[in-house]
Amino acid sequence: MPTTTPTHAPARSARASAVGHPPAWLVTLAVLAVVTVSIPLVYLGVRASGVPSSAWGEIFLRPLVGELVWNTIGLSVAVSATAIAMGTLIATIVTRLRIGAARTWLLISALPLAVPSYLASYGWLVLAPGISGFVPSWALLSAVTIPYVTLPVAAALRGTSADGEAVARTLGLGPAQAFWRVTWPQVRPAAIAGGLLVFLYTLSDFGLVAMLRFQTLTWGVQQAYSASFDRSQAAVLAMLLVVIAVVVVAAERGARGSLRRTTAIHSTKEPLSPSARVLLSLIVALPPVVGVVVPLIGLGIRLGEATTLRTFDPENLLQATTTTIGVSLAAALLALLLALPLAALAARHQRTWISTLEGAGYLSNGLPGIVVGLSLVFFSLSVVPSLYQTVVVLVFAYAVLFMPKALGTARASIEGVPADLISVARTLGASRFEAWRRVTVPLALPGLGIGALLVAIATMKELPATLLLRPLGSSTLATELWSRTAAGEFGAAAPYAAVLVLIAAIPAMILSGVRSVAKEEM
Amino acid sequence: MTTLTLDNISLSYGSRQALRDVSLVVPSGSLVAILGPSGCGKTSLLMALAGLVAIDGGTITVGSRELSSAHHRIPPEQRGIGWVPQEASLFPHLSVGDNIGFSLPKGRRRTERVEELAGLIGLRGYAERSPGQLSGGQAQRVALARALAPAPDVLLLDEPFGALDTVLRHTLSRDVARILREQETTAILVTHDREEALDLADFVAVMDNGRIVQVGTPLEIYESPATPWVASFVGDTVELEGVWKDDALNCQQCGSKDFCGPAENRLGCTGHVVCALGDVAATSQGAEPRNGDTVRVVVRPEWLVPSPSGIAAQVHSVSYAGHDALVDFQLEGHPERVRARIAAPFLPSVGQDFHLALRHPALVFPVDEPEGALA
Repeated sequence: MPTTTPTHAPARSARASAVGHPPAWLVTLAVLAVVTVSIPLVYLGVRASGVPSSAWGEIFLRPLVGELVWNTIGLSVAVSATAIAMGTLIATIVTRLRIGAARTWLLISALPLAVPSYLASYGWLVLAPGISGFVPSWALLSAVTIPYVTLPVAAALRGTSADGEAVARTLGLGPAQAFWRVTWPQVRPAAIAGGLLVFLYTLSDFGLVAMLRFQTLTWGVQQAYSASFDRSQAAVLAMLLVVIAVVVVAAERGARGSLRRTTAIHSTKEPLSPSARVLLSLIVALPPVVGVVVPLIGLGIRLGEATTLRTFDPENLLQATTTTIGVSLAAALLALLLALPLAALAARHQRTWISTLEGAGYLSNGLPGIVVGLSLVFFSLSVVPSLYQTVVVLVFAYAVLFMPKALGTARASIEGVPADLISVARTLGASRFEAWRRVTVPLALPGLGIGALLVAIATMKELPATLLLRPLGSSTLATELWSRTAAGEFGAAAPYAAVLVLIAAIPAMILSGVRSVAKEEM
Repeated sequence: MTTLTLDNISLSYGSRQALRDVSLVVPSGSLVAILGPSGCGKTSLLMALAGLVAIDGGTITVGSRELSSAHHRIPPEQRGIGWVPQEASLFPHLSVGDNIGFSLPKGRRRTERVEELAGLIGLRGYAERSPGQLSGGQAQRVALARALAPAPDVLLLDEPFGALDTVLRHTLSRDVARILREQETTAILVTHDREEALDLADFVAVMDNGRIVQVGTPLEIYESPATPWVASFVGDTVELEGVWKDDALNCQQCGSKDFCGPAENRLGCTGHVVCALGDVAATSQGAEPRNGDTVRVVVRPEWLVPSPSGIAAQVHSVSYAGHDALVDFQLEGHPERVRARIAAPFLPSVGQDFHLALRHPALVFPVDEPEGALA
């Protein structure tokens, strides 16, 4: 008979909520952050409510709409389920099994983060021009998004003791059962939070599905916007995307559970047979091969062709690179600043209205870039026309779009700082703010850095909002790549693609190199 | 003056009441232990004192300064109340020295003070180490030094020795008590370890279910517990049924006269009881029983001593503990068994005939006193 492991009785449940009422300034900042990132949503609401009800019916009755919804949900569910399963598996292999060169493997498994989805499909299309539809879209999106689960789960696994599993084994559980009943509950919050990012990524992806001709809602929105006489339909379709995102965020609230941390004790790992090692290495290598290696081969082939070398313009490439790096760093910083108050509030205070607020902070992640871009065109034109088509609005758009990426990691890393430490600091004479500055921030910094890097990477890859909002005459690597690809100049696009991969790969590598738990583990 | 006064404080989390009308005075410079089982409200009390939670009613005052009331709470950083948490909780990103000096402004004064405190806790030369390199006991010492650094009016110690092994716990707890006395720090020690509380504290407050059931010196708490629950919580007990007689036996008539200490040490007999131990001198605790009432008689195992002139009993079982043994006796002519603590090395063996006498007035409680009684 399997024995249930007794959970430690929360004798001190008082402590977690002991910090008392959230301070007014923190609540104000968090609400401001949510209001800020809600601007596109509000505009969308305004647009959609301007649509006459007769038109709504007409839009919904189109057979295409049903198909778009079905395709979108099917693809998003398939990709996030794959990412959760594969990401957890890979993280377990890398952190818990004696696969050898574990840190290198973790680095490699993070590489797909560096590859924009449209670039992966571009690379595959160069090699296999015929691919299209659900299966290639699912496979490629999965390969690109698996690290969103692998990294947080690996961090959670490093933060939990492997002893629980060993104890479960002595209580008569098999390895798989022991993992399922002991380790999975501990990494589940991280896996599900990662899965949410993947779902929302897939929901908003445009470039890849457009290239692989799989018609989802984002594609529908894009089509409707391009046919600019009928923006109502685009607003209605975008509204559908928002509804799906709301439902998923709400479901994640329920499924996540709370993050618990134990001190990591690294028990000895069992040695593996050579054949098992090869098999496990293949599993870990699969996403990087599909999402990075094959597309890069495709790219490399284009890069080596004579037409590419003839049209190469180093000055323009340099300008695009500088712009890309500059706006990415600015966006990462701004997104982190927006996410911090909300993360601090959600990590330290368990109230229903706070989780609702936090959920609202995630919504912009479900919005396609094109919707955020266009709504900000509208917003800047009507509210701050002097900023229209300036870098300020562009960076703001990125921050709005990618704040959720910083939010999850920021929340988890603040949650990882024991509340007792804050209380001790307070009794030692530190004010709330001082305790925050001297204890929480230094301890949460690695996690906050990861959040900022996730934003920077996403910004470098962002395409549709950039196309709409970039200042006249300037361009980023992504827009250069897209405009050349759209014009059929696959060769001319290749250098931009190559640099994009290079500069996005650097933060991705740093990301997997950072230890999520700092000094206490060293 | 840093006398800490709790006046009728109450605290609840939602519908669960954690503290009910808790009143306590901690005299300046004294060490008071709060003793109680898990979940009795000890930790809530500390958090209320530290200002980490708001109270619903009553007041918390240090000297003449009101720290907390239902409407007002001075924030933790301005209360002058230090806190040593259960598991040291050292800041993992700071060195030992920076942990100790956390509350002090940077400069030469700070370096000196950190040095001084490190010396006080016996960890001079550890300033550059990281908390991860310390043993559990060392970490706890550092946590104490860190809390002492700003010279708090009152120091709170939340089961600071709970995670340590027995030997270490004993030496460290004595060290800590010595340091606190040397520093003349007013301190509250929360613990569920009765020996720790009795050994270290000037006064012990026993808590149960959010209330303080009894406050007194360790001797009073142990020898004269207010309820049977307190009696059994702070030490081993033997319980019997008896009949209360109002007339106090004078010492000459008392069966214990040969063993009883000098008169000035006696807690006073207010009557006597007729029970399986014979007619024994007794003091009634709490309610005053009427003559002839059936009562609960409580004695401690070490109050029962071998005596040739005592009542007859047979050894039923022996639980050996090295320095002494707890021996269960079957009283002759009675269905009851009693337990006595017999000092080593001359221990009886099972089945042996024995004679016992009581050398301390028995404690008498009303029979209907509910378990975990309310004060």
